[in-house]
Amino acid sequence: MSLKIETRFGRIRVERRVGYGRLYSISMTLLSLALAFLVVALILASLGLDPVKAFQVIFGVFMKPSLLLESIKQSIPICLAALGLSIAFKMNFWNIGAEGQIYMGMIASTGIVLLHAYYGFFHEWMVMPLMFLASFLLGGAWCLIPGALKARLGVNEILPTLMLNYVAILIVDFLVHGPWRDPKGYGFPLSIPFPEYTKLNIVLGEPAYTGLLFSILGAAAVFFLLEYTKLGFEIKVVGQSPAVARYAGIRVRSTILLGSFLAGGLAGIGGLSIVSGIIGRLRPGASPGYGYTAIIVAALAGLNPWVTVAVSIFFGGLITAGGALQMSMGIPKAAAQMIQAVIFLMILVGEFIKRYRIVIERPGASER
Amino acid sequence: MIEWIESVLGLTIQVGTVYLLASLGEIYAERSGVLNLGLEGIMVMGAALSFIFTLAYGHLVAILVSVVTGILMSLILAVMAVYMRLNQTVTGLALTMLGLGLSGFLASPEVRKVMLLALNPLLPESLLAIQEAPKLPEIHVPLLSGIPIIGCFFRQNVLVYVSYIAAPLMWFILFKTRPGLSLRSVGENPAAADAMGINVFRVRCVATMISGGFAGLAGAYLFLGFQPFWREGLTAGKGFIALSLVILSTWNPLRAILGAYLFGGVEVIQYRLQLFGLGALSPYLLTMLPYLVAIAALVAVSIESVRKRIGVPASLGIPYSREE
Repeated sequence: MSLKIETRFGRIRVERRVGYGRLYSISMTLLSLALAFLVVALILASLGLDPVKAFQVIFGVFMKPSLLLESIKQSIPICLAALGLSIAFKMNFWNIGAEGQIYMGMIASTGIVLLHAYYGFFHEWMVMPLMFLASFLLGGAWCLIPGALKARLGVNEILPTLMLNYVAILIVDFLVHGPWRDPKGYGFPLSIPFPEYTKLNIVLGEPAYTGLLFSILGAAAVFFLLEYTKLGFEIKVVGQSPAVARYAGIRVRSTILLGSFLAGGLAGIGGLSIVSGIIGRLRPGASPGYGYTAIIVAALAGLNPWVTVAVSIFFGGLITAGGALQMSMGIPKAAAQMIQAVIFLMILVGEFIKRYRIVIERPGASER
Repeated sequence: MIEWIESVLGLTIQVGTVYLLASLGEIYAERSGVLNLGLEGIMVMGAALSFIFTLAYGHLVAILVSVVTGILMSLILAVMAVYMRLNQTVTGLALTMLGLGLSGFLASPEVRKVMLLALNPLLPESLLAIQEAPKLPEIHVPLLSGIPIIGCFFRQNVLVYVSYIAAPLMWFILFKTRPGLSLRSVGENPAAADAMGINVFRVRCVATMISGGFAGLAGAYLFLGFQPFWREGLTAGKGFIALSLVILSTWNPLRAILGAYLFGGVEVIQYRLQLFGLGALSPYLLTMLPYLVAIAALVAVSIESVRKRIGVPASLGIPYSREE
């Protein structure tokens, strides 16, 4: 046993729990969520802010239809990026670069819109499919850089994916301050507003429903990939043990390249959903950290594609609540980010509690 | 000409010190086998708290608070990654997110005002709303600061001098003393270290806390010693660059000095190019330079380390458990 503390009351030790049910697992996750909100309440209360009122605002988001719709809208980029991350994480590829891949997806879709608007390339009906294709390709390519560095040179992917986030954000800054600035935008760093036929509102004319459809389609695709295809199987084997994968004749390098490309591509489509579904144009800081939130979502959903859709909506709600908290209580918007981080930490602690249990041995009970 | 070199070199040292302080501690954590990816979050918390506490109580208290906060935050990581054996990447990332969120929350004008009044009710109204704090004063070392060119090493603030002393001292402790040997052995082969009677968990916990303390100090320096103007997320990935620097320095505190000034130099070149008209092209493209150099450094080191098989601590990132 690695952790053993002798106390006056006996010996406290930590034991690995052998096997646990799904119900137990879910209840532990809910318990850690509750703990997270308790911690947040303590932080708010210590600064003289009323936690009860704050929670009323946060959970009120899910009760009011207009805010719920907004939450679903906010959840789309998170969900798509998190779906991509579940592929990457299953492969043991620590892609922390979903944020950058989202930004590249936004660049690609805006680029297509501008090509059409400025130069009249493509028919109107071709613009939307091309936006999807371009954002998938560019997002994928952005993740392929660290993927290739890992597969070819053995560079650990964590830091390159992180660095590329900052680079992607700066490329967007460059574009909207320079070549892509709207000539009629009074000098503000914004692209031209997207025309109606490039908006993500095929279903009932509402981006939230359309996006939800795409989230569910994405979840189905990832589920199918991971459960029913050869590539999905290879991804999982590579993730568990590259040595075993190599022994089994799996081409580890190509699997890493392909897996990272798919992961980035999904995040890229997440980027499309921001510019064409949420904002309707490209602007600096268009993603308030959706790519980082996606990491928390993927972890909380246990890399399960279907659960990811639901968890994303919860986090979309938290982001929406951030705005509501600011308006109704003057709590700064960063509070939403803080709450997310606390939830993340508590879920991780919950993972530990799930896997281990604390045993107290009374003196004399086991010894003597 | 000499004046120009001095100003560039002086600025390089000022920027480089951020990286140096952060990477010195991280070297200890990684040498013991713990990747502290929370560096960025701890630094930004250090910056935010040094901002608030400087306004309330002055520089000394602010620096101490930043260091202590860094140690406490990394204690969270140590408990979760060392004792609970949770994934270090994910845990560190969670800590970074916590730091970014909490610092933005605490230093936002609304909350900051509440905090400042609670800390020091006598504070004048004018200090409650400002976005900046007084910078750390420069200390000129007599005689040495008069030497041309090299003199700029000795016209810096107190935390830069701390980094001059800390780097060789940290090298000495790591490579020439018994505790340093224990720390390295825990990172190379925890099971063997355990068999030798070294408490693997305690060593890793302490090493992680050292990295947190230095990261807090780096954050305080970044704000008070370099740019005492608060904006949310002002570290802008400097913690992650410091992490790449640790790899570039092959986990050696003395090489970290060179690496830190290299990255400092890259950033200064970028400022200078912006001044010379090249910035008219776009400041945003130039700002990418440090991140791209960091990636290039990681690639270069990986090629080098494959060739020479140099020193990644063998158990880096792997939680230790006696059961397995």
